Amino acid sequence: MSDSSYLVPVYVAYAVVTVSLTVWLARTLFKNGAVFLEDVFKDAPKMAEAVNRLLVIGFYLLNLGYAALLMKAERGDSVLQAVEVLAWKLGALLMSLGVMHFVNLYVFYRIRRRARVAILPPPVAPQMRAPSYVGPAVAHA
Amino acid sequence: MRELTVLYDEGCAMCVRCRDWLALQRSFLPMRFVACGSAEARTRYSGIPWVGEELVVASDEGDVWAGPAAFLVCLWALEDWREWSYTLSGSAFSPLAERFFQALSSRRRALAAFLVPDPCASGTCSAPASHAPKMAFR
Repeated sequence: MSDSSYLVPVYVAYAVVTVSLTVWLARTLFKNGAVFLEDVFKDAPKMAEAVNRLLVIGFYLLNLGYAALLMKAERGDSVLQAVEVLAWKLGALLMSLGVMHFVNLYVFYRIRRRARVAILPPPVAPQMRAPSYVGPAVAHA
Repeated sequence: MRELTVLYDEGCAMCVRCRDWLALQRSFLPMRFVACGSAEARTRYSGIPWVGEELVVASDEGDVWAGPAAFLVCLWALEDWREWSYTLSGSAFSPLAERFFQALSSRRRALAAFLVPDPCASGTCSAPASHAPKMAFR
């Protein structure tokens, strides 16, 4: 058998695991991210859906692209080596998927927090009530 | 609340710089800056006892904050600093924040002179007023 006889099965296994994992993760993200985004874009449900889809597309592109870059293996002389190569690659991929996932969660959290902070009243009570001071910059109806 | 008016001390270079900084930040609601020695401050805001002594912030609805509270309301108006205004007004930090702003405010002329020597020799300060138009983030 030639030097890299086990590489092809490694590649096939890697591709199958990678693609199915990415699809599963993206679907999970899509379903659960929708809850966050509906809360943020209460008045524009279509907007929430669009943002969600765009985020998922970015997730797919990044993950599959990275997985493809990671695929090339140097050696696969024996079954043992092939398994090791596969495990190493899947480990690296899973770790980076994990990082991506937390980054995604953080993005959702930031979006939501920004929307919630925008409606908070001043943190301190006024020291005085006076007749309203309407500046010239504000056109009153 | 739709607008905040900030009455600042135009005789203190540090305050003028702070005003410029505030004007460049992204804010949740429009902020108007009125020098406390101006005619507008002396007429429209004459009913507020702290004008000239302390930083004063007035909302278009007639709420007035002065001193440390006014600093916090300025922070509250800014998109990037609203959470800080809550942190600083919480029970853990409010005594510290109050003393800090009080100290800053009561020594503002001395501090300004220390930081920017002699910018106010002729009564009006020549701190670099930013003429750049404010960026509109929408």
